[in-house]
Amino acid sequence: MDFEPKIIAFCCNWCAYPAADLAGIARIQYPAGIRIIRVLCSGMVHPEMVINAFNNGADGVMILGCHPGECHYLDGNVKALARSEMIIELLDDFGFEPERFLITWISSTEAAGFAHVVTEMSERIKRLGPNPVNPAATTI
Amino acid sequence: MTLTIRVAEEWLHSCSGCEIAILNTGESLLELLEHLDIVHMPVLMDHKLSGQLGEKEQLTVPEADVGIVSGGVANEEHVEILLEMRKKCTTLIALGTCATHGGIPAMANEWPMQQCLTTVFSTPSTDSCSVPDQEVPLFLDRVYATDEKVAVDILIPGCPPDPDTIKHVLTALIQRTEFKLPSKSVCDTCPTVRKGKGETDKVRRFLDNADYRADQPPDTMRCLLEQGLLCMGPVTAAGCARHGAPQCITARVPCRGCFGPVRQKGNQLLDMMNALASNGIDFKSLIDRKSLLRFSGAHGRIRKRRFKVKGIRQR
Repeated sequence: MDFEPKIIAFCCNWCAYPAADLAGIARIQYPAGIRIIRVLCSGMVHPEMVINAFNNGADGVMILGCHPGECHYLDGNVKALARSEMIIELLDDFGFEPERFLITWISSTEAAGFAHVVTEMSERIKRLGPNPVNPAATTI
Repeated sequence: MTLTIRVAEEWLHSCSGCEIAILNTGESLLELLEHLDIVHMPVLMDHKLSGQLGEKEQLTVPEADVGIVSGGVANEEHVEILLEMRKKCTTLIALGTCATHGGIPAMANEWPMQQCLTTVFSTPSTDSCSVPDQEVPLFLDRVYATDEKVAVDILIPGCPPDPDTIKHVLTALIQRTEFKLPSKSVCDTCPTVRKGKGETDKVRRFLDNADYRADQPPDTMRCLLEQGLLCMGPVTAAGCARHGAPQCITARVPCRGCFGPVRQKGNQLLDMMNALASNGIDFKSLIDRKSLLRFSGAHGRIRKRRFKVKGIRQR
């Protein structure tokens, strides 16, 4: 059976989400397993949201924000990055591979960049296999 | 309206500290007892689950209006007693952090049960013997909180719970009135001096002493978190404060988090680490961060360690 990873992507309202929108308008292909959640800023993604996503069976989680220095709220993405270092550390404690999590920056015009990043993430999760909390993980 | 209510009490994976907290209500217990008809409470009185002469074949708890359960759920007997309590009691109270969040015993959840048993039964310092498997209840795969196994009506955390809260809840149940449990964090009940963040960038060890003057009350002491001590006040439910300050703060040591998370679904480890990271404190200076879940390891918050997958790196 083919494994199509479910990936939650928290996209910031000002850069990553418009990029995803543009990718759609331009009909750029990317994996269907990406579930986009629009947030106002990457800096508002509490670590609990990430861990919750994993606990509920997401195979991967991404936080996509504006490039450093281009945050709509000046330094939200810097805060997100500081938190992400912590999330990567903590994932191990909660029993998930840190590689299942990714933070990266996309500007609102980088539609191809968005597609590239999520495709690469999807490939990476495919190599890791399903989230260990999923019942499917034991059968595959 | 004052009525007499029938009370059944059971202890599961616990230390009897919660029952001592009930007794610690002090003189007001005498007033309470006039309206409490305790029909079952093995910790304090002789009443056996299998009948006084062992004549009953199944565990039986008498019918009661209020059931109080302390302790988490770790073996099959605990499950059986808990289900029986739920069946016979109209209102079920989970008393103490073990019952509400797993408590100290749930720290075992980090390892597979087999490994815990091996550690206990065959360390180099003990005479090795086999793990008993006859006539003792089997362990579950991990330690559970009571509300993971049955529906619980009232959750009273605390290690031990505050006697005043117990009195407040029992009085309300007797008088059929409303009651209110503390819903804020320990910091909301803490009088120490807060000057704002930004001065500390590292966490000091718990063994370090705080700066304070012993002859001055706690409200003249600087907030322990601002002193760089890892105080779990911001991520811990209130309810321990007496004489105007949380009890650990009165003893001039940081909060250890014994009331569990502020919200029932909260995660003390995540919330504390998030607070540190977003305030520019180096979270790597915190040694053994997993122990932040020392009181709330049930509900799957503490997970078993996993084997690392090699060959894939973070970008």
